Amino acid sequence: MNALRRHRALSRIWASEPGLRGWFTTVNHTDLGRMFLAVAIFFFIVGGILAMLIRAQLASPRSAFLGPDHYNQIFTMHGTIMMFLFAIPFFEGLAVYLLPKMLGTRDLAFPRLTAYGFWCYVFGGSMMIFSLLAGVAPDSGWFMYPPLSSTIGAPGINSDFWLIGITFVEISAISAAVEITVTVLRYRAPGMSLSRMPIFAWYALVTAVMILTGFPPLILGSILLELERAFDMPFFQVAAGGDALLWQHLFWLFGHPEVYIIFLPAAGAISTILPVMARTRLMGYGWVVAAAVSLGVLSFGLWVHHMFTTGIPHMGLAFFSAASTLVAVPTAVQIFAWIGTLSKGRPSLHLPMLWLLAFFATFVIGGLTGVMVAIVPFDWQAHDTYFIVAHLHYVLVGGFVFPMLAALYYWMPHFTGRKTYFKLGNTAFWLIVPGFHGTFLLLHWAGLLGMRRRIDTYESGQGWEAINLIASISGFVMSIGFALVLIDVVINAAVAIRGSRDPWKAGTLEWAMPTPSAPYNFASLPQVTSREPLYDAPDLPVRLARGEGYLGDPSRGRRETLSVEIATGAPRYITVFPGNTVLPMLMSAVTGLFFLGMLLKTYWLVPISAIGVICCALYWAWSLGGTTREGALPVGHGPELLTAGEVADPPGWWGSIFLLLANGTFFGSLLFGYVFLWTIAPNWPPPRYAEPGLDVALAALAGAGLAALGPRLRPSTGLLLLLPGLGGLAWAGIRILARVPDPTAHAYDATLWVLMGYALLHLAVALVMALFVAARRRAGHIGAIAGGEPRIARLWSDYAVLISGIAVLAAALPGWLT
Amino acid sequence: MISVLRLSLPLGLWLASFSAVYGLHGLLCSSRWAAPPIALSERALLIGATLAAIALQALCLLILRSPRWREPDPRLRNIGLALAAVALLAAAWTMLPVVAFSSCL
Repeated sequence: MNALRRHRALSRIWASEPGLRGWFTTVNHTDLGRMFLAVAIFFFIVGGILAMLIRAQLASPRSAFLGPDHYNQIFTMHGTIMMFLFAIPFFEGLAVYLLPKMLGTRDLAFPRLTAYGFWCYVFGGSMMIFSLLAGVAPDSGWFMYPPLSSTIGAPGINSDFWLIGITFVEISAISAAVEITVTVLRYRAPGMSLSRMPIFAWYALVTAVMILTGFPPLILGSILLELERAFDMPFFQVAAGGDALLWQHLFWLFGHPEVYIIFLPAAGAISTILPVMARTRLMGYGWVVAAAVSLGVLSFGLWVHHMFTTGIPHMGLAFFSAASTLVAVPTAVQIFAWIGTLSKGRPSLHLPMLWLLAFFATFVIGGLTGVMVAIVPFDWQAHDTYFIVAHLHYVLVGGFVFPMLAALYYWMPHFTGRKTYFKLGNTAFWLIVPGFHGTFLLLHWAGLLGMRRRIDTYESGQGWEAINLIASISGFVMSIGFALVLIDVVINAAVAIRGSRDPWKAGTLEWAMPTPSAPYNFASLPQVTSREPLYDAPDLPVRLARGEGYLGDPSRGRRETLSVEIATGAPRYITVFPGNTVLPMLMSAVTGLFFLGMLLKTYWLVPISAIGVICCALYWAWSLGGTTREGALPVGHGPELLTAGEVADPPGWWGSIFLLLANGTFFGSLLFGYVFLWTIAPNWPPPRYAEPGLDVALAALAGAGLAALGPRLRPSTGLLLLLPGLGGLAWAGIRILARVPDPTAHAYDATLWVLMGYALLHLAVALVMALFVAARRRAGHIGAIAGGEPRIARLWSDYAVLISGIAVLAAALPGWLT
Repeated sequence: MISVLRLSLPLGLWLASFSAVYGLHGLLCSSRWAAPPIALSERALLIGATLAAIALQALCLLILRSPRWREPDPRLRNIGLALAAVALLAAAWTMLPVVAFSSCL
């Protein structure tokens, strides 16, 4: 088969449906990556317009341009949109588009999950935009501190939009994070060991794991606050045993890692682009990987530095001040590695390089002011002033937006297949960078002069007028620059001349394909022997197109790629991807109804849509795999491999591992909240503890034993043990709830309701999965008979047993100890 | 997966011990926490916990260097050892306040 016939055959297999329908049914990562990026850019425009409204209001003292109610909504939505609807999804979009191409594979691990995440993002984001247009947008600040965001401070629906809308959007982030983690670990070109991975993949992996462990505390906080607002469960109300500081802990447990979740992908792009621009290789690859991992983990030990003014004891402050200064070290390691790379190469000042230089100048300033605010006495002076506003914009715009503009211009020839012909982007650069510094550099000074954050207006005579006027004018200059970037991108994408395959002479695999890329990425999968395969084998693209790599024979007529060993990159099994389907969009729409029911307090809709989601999920899982045992199949180059349905660790097993990591973090955060209230919150102890009796302890112990043993026996016997085991644990949970019948009475009672609700939900999930696998086995599905499906179900039932046991113990412990 | 766990272990351990020492500090300063059952001051307990955390990090570094547990890929091994060293330094630096600051003020 020649290259053209192979291309046609693979295109028939992998292409999305034509026309408008294709938009809703595509599960292809190239399409979805582009769609993610386009929607994220739309939200960036909306967030930018809001920023300009803020600057228009603050340009002069006593401005009547916006009233305080509108101003509160606008600055809250500006922060919310930029953080949740632009920065994270933009990274997701870039990773969704690039990772399979860089890793030398044909798609992400779970294509339908990519689509589901995308549609959750679109529907959740639309919910937020609707609130803005309807004038009921959240208005309590992007971090939604109670009691300002509680029903006491915000009785309307505004805060509910934030809590429910953002939780909906976070499904998208968790989906993408599971997707990226499994893809980086298991879906690479044969021979691509971990130490041969492109540096961007390391950063994406660290970022994805951070999302899995960083987002759950916020999801928990949002659920607790919404439960308080909707059902009077008093988690944050001091009078009833709650504590508003709990929200701050949960929020910043997410919020500080979030800063690095935003910065690290940008650092990944810099580490990829900078060596190409400098016509050399990255200096200190190993050090950069170590720095990225260090930064990712250390960032989880910094959250209290956002709470230095809340009255925490000095020693506690010192822990977090020390950790905050420490995090500068891995950041500096990366900066020095990049400077070293520049010094050993011969940098050329293309537009991506200009943006990287802007990044250096801006991010280093933001980093240094970050070290300043890490020092407690300084933070006490600068807290909640415009110094912080300036600092965070230097870090986020300098550390994310500028590198992403470099990325946009660097990969634009890949997206479009065209040369960057028109030079409007250079003019835009010279408007944006001076405009940015004109806006924010002086705002440090305004902060030091005492200008507080979030004020909608100010009196004259405080020395802030000139600063604010200059900042506003510069802000508009910057906006004109961003508008020019947009025009530049659209014009170049639409009418610029066709470009060559690898215009920057880069060495990574995304350039080993014609651009714009075909839906299958590679006609055959490469065997990788180095970190920059194109530098070592310039003819690789031609050989791949000729079908000289793995899986070059499309005769099986389905979407196939290879899964590899994590460490070595040796081929392990063949993954067969599902085709185009409307199911992900349908399921996300039904998920949206669930959240809409909560938002509008039409609670009858909630269980109906929950059942709808379960039905969609069951149909989704049922349609995977087949009933025919295929055995080992040839993949080219000698080895014959089984398909994923016939191995013990299929992609679903790996996805479950990382989803449970996020789930476990959620549960750990819940336990943290419980212990926090127990030890710190005023108005404890509650009037009475639950004190479960011997019957509950015995039911829980026996249930846990049976449910743990069942899945380890023969399927028929195992199910007979598992069902009463899960039932025993559920009965123990219900008995505990019967002892605290009123969840509105005290934060303790409310916490037990959430703990037991979480346990019961997981027991139900374990039950459904066990029955599902049994049904699949009866229907003759290979995955349930000889594959990894029983192992996946066991993973979930073991988790349910573990957390149910801990929940029962946690409920009993305060009563036993007092 | 073992390679990834080797890379994750040192700083994961730091995060756990850092959170544990901060949690212990919170417990010891809580008004409803009874006095420790042993005749040790709050500071002695915190210093003990810190020393245990540092010892654990040192042990982790030694384990990752030992022939039995070492990573076969030399580049990943170096990255893992660098992370173990970072975690050891991080434990010492971030928990240093237990010797210098008033505990519950």
